[in-house]
Amino acid sequence: MTVIQIKNVSRWYGNVVAVNDITMDIGPGVTGLLGPNGAGKSTILHMIAGFLAPSRGTLTVHPALGEPVPTWRNPDIYRNLGLVPERDSVYAFLTGEEFVRSTAKLHRLGNPGAAVSKAIAMTDMGQAADRRIATYSKGMRQRIKVAAALVHDPEILLLDEPFNGMDPRQRIHMMELLAKLGAEGRTILFSSHILEEVERLSGTIQVMVAGRLAASGDFRAIRRLMTSRPHVFNVRSSDDRTLAALLVGRPWTTAVELTAKGLQVRTSDFGAFCAQIAVLTRDHKIALRELLPTDESLESVFGYLISSQGS
Amino acid sequence: MSAYFNPTIAGLTVRATLGRRRALLFAIPAVILIALTLVLRASRPGTDALWPDRVLGDFGFSVLLPLTALIVGTGVLGAEIDDGSAIHLLATPVRRGSVVVTKFAVAAMVTAIFAAVPELVAGLLAPNSGKLAFALFVGALAGSLIYSAVFLLASVLTTRAIAFGLLYVLIWEGLLSNLVGGARILSIAHYCLGIANAVHPDANLNAGLTLATSLILGVIVTVGALILATRRLSAFAIQGEPA
Amino acid sequence: MPADLSVPSTGGPSVIHDLGYRRYDGPRLGRAQIIRALAWHSFRAAFGLGRGAKAKIVPLVALVALCLPAAISAFAMSRGNARLVDYDTYTPALRDLVMTVFVAVQAPELVSRDLRSRVLPLYFARPINTIDYPLAKYLAFTGACLVMIEGPLLLLYGGSIANVHGGSAVWAQTRALIPGLLVGLMWAVVLAAISLFLASATGRRAFATGAVAIFLLLTFTLSEILLQVEGQNQGPQAAAVNGGPPPPGATVHVQQLVYVPSLAEKISGLFSPFTLFDGVRMWLGGTDMADGVYNPGGFGAVYALVLVVLTALCLYGLAARYRKARLS
Repeated sequence: MTVIQIKNVSRWYGNVVAVNDITMDIGPGVTGLLGPNGAGKSTILHMIAGFLAPSRGTLTVHPALGEPVPTWRNPDIYRNLGLVPERDSVYAFLTGEEFVRSTAKLHRLGNPGAAVSKAIAMTDMGQAADRRIATYSKGMRQRIKVAAALVHDPEILLLDEPFNGMDPRQRIHMMELLAKLGAEGRTILFSSHILEEVERLSGTIQVMVAGRLAASGDFRAIRRLMTSRPHVFNVRSSDDRTLAALLVGRPWTTAVELTAKGLQVRTSDFGAFCAQIAVLTRDHKIALRELLPTDESLESVFGYLISSQGS
Repeated sequence: MSAYFNPTIAGLTVRATLGRRRALLFAIPAVILIALTLVLRASRPGTDALWPDRVLGDFGFSVLLPLTALIVGTGVLGAEIDDGSAIHLLATPVRRGSVVVTKFAVAAMVTAIFAAVPELVAGLLAPNSGKLAFALFVGALAGSLIYSAVFLLASVLTTRAIAFGLLYVLIWEGLLSNLVGGARILSIAHYCLGIANAVHPDANLNAGLTLATSLILGVIVTVGALILATRRLSAFAIQGEPA
Repeated sequence: MPADLSVPSTGGPSVIHDLGYRRYDGPRLGRAQIIRALAWHSFRAAFGLGRGAKAKIVPLVALVALCLPAAISAFAMSRGNARLVDYDTYTPALRDLVMTVFVAVQAPELVSRDLRSRVLPLYFARPINTIDYPLAKYLAFTGACLVMIEGPLLLLYGGSIANVHGGSAVWAQTRALIPGLLVGLMWAVVLAAISLFLASATGRRAFATGAVAIFLLLTFTLSEILLQVEGQNQGPQAAAVNGGPPPPGATVHVQQLVYVPSLAEKISGLFSPFTLFDGVRMWLGGTDMADGVYNPGGFGAVYALVLVVLTALCLYGLAARYRKARLS
């Protein structure tokens, strides 16, 4: 089910192309928008949030009830959409609670007090809510912005680099919150250039490099698709050298390296390797002690995508 | 599209405009106006004194009113756009027209309090100037409305609104429009003088426009500015680095 | 491009070059160069150079507005008229207003921007003394104001000497120009101090512009009003210009009426930098103005003193503002 549909969207500033013909569909759950700085993540987020017009293409929001609507020049989308901008700017003279409360009133909520308390409790800002925002640390400002974005219980939540300035404990708390919201069926889209955050939190990732969409989907699935790059496994067994000789004989092995810590095997056919390694070791009476895919991480996927785009 | 006054926005705007030291910036000129009136009244109590015209006209009407309106009018929305907190206001289903109208109302009210009311008070304190005081008060009220609308529009169009506004007030209204007769129809100060002159005709006002002209032009400019500002605000885009 | 590996390098042992981080051990420029670099950068910023097009509009309009009288005068002189404006007063109303706009809009460009973007720690984490920063800014802005004021004067001068003939006429123009340039210097030095001091109070440019504009305009209007009001109550007082009665048989000199301002009038001119400028100018022998500040005579020394004290206070305030290298 598509909640946000982005079709052939481009955005340029004079000669600089910030977003280059991007098409993606974003559904419920947590989606991570990943990319290095300058990739166009903020630009896409601002366009989805209706704060920037695409130079070409359309961005539409499909609410659960009602017609799909374009995001530009359409303040009604904010009934279902909450935005947490990256820029560190809030009304510094208000207290946290006043800020969330004014946002609630601007959304014309029926019972602002209850919504405000709930939002503040969700972001764990209860103790600091009575202090002026000018006295907050950066992480606290992020959290109060999230509280304001959640106060009207939106179906869609957009966050631009939400973990900036948060200490590890706050980060974990925020991740748990976003995961919970995503599990409730909301559509959470957040941008980040920190792989660890995206890896831990999102089910789906959209990788943007230099304004283009480099890959989308589950990152493990993307890894499978990168067939030109061999998978790397660390293997430890009772007889490494024999196993190495056996593996070299197989057609799906591209390289085997004997190291002090075991074997490092590169294979071009993930499926064949997984299916046959156990059979191989059993038939030759080698005990398989450790089998570890080493570059399954998002980091390797990301690095590959970046380098392939750059070359 | 309903555009009505939004109390939440009004409250935020009032707090932002008059918070901390900013109220001083507006209060000091008003206090000086009244203090000057009192001093001159004490030293020159004669009823044929000519100084009320100078004080109320040159000081109050030609300097205090436009400058206060400039700082307040460009600040009500401009400050939030400038530091980026406008996005929290706009990421809500609030009608853009409502934002513009509410901020306009706050700007006009603050300007009226800090420029038009002191003008009236000074005028009443000055000897034999009751009628003039009232006329200028009405003119200043009109000025609060018209100036606020125009400067609000300017702050939506550009981040350097106060610089261009200062050019307009000092160079255009201060110098040029007085030199070239026909240029008066493009000068907000002259709209206000025309209105003031209609309340109580006074040759010293040098009002060049009739009441009808002033009113019509004033209304056109005010309403036009608010409409344009709403349209521009509807297309509010976050400028900045593609990242 | 790697070297062709198939050909062995001739002579010398193989070596791996150290391409890592290097310290700079060469000569380092001194304090004067730092101040000069910062001043030059700020001078350019005062005219909007190095920023977008919109930043140049106000300085450009102001400069053109100030040059217009000079251009018109040159044009008129080419038709045979005398010079339309003087060097030392120029066009008072225009210059007052245009310079007010210029310093109100551009002083925040120099100081408020740095406060807002919190780059002061970046400046002061370098070998720069805390006094150097305001000093450089002040020198830069004084220079910018000088360009704004002396530029039109030089244009006027050029237009005038192009239209007069003979060495003595040129010399007369030059002699009239020098006091004008000195008056311009006074303007630049004082206005730069006041506007930078006021603008350095806040990081929001709009606020700073408002503060400078309000200060200059209110004081100016205040002084003007007081002068006009005081002036209405005094008739011109006759004072003999040539002392003593005329000798018998000589042509009777018409006694000229010289306006002697009262004490209240003299004090009225103290409230605004612009009237202070006029007072000092006349005290030092400049031409009297048709309206406005009246020649304060010996009282002009007080004008000069007030001006000096005002400038000193502003400069002290400006330096004190940056004594601690705070974030904002």
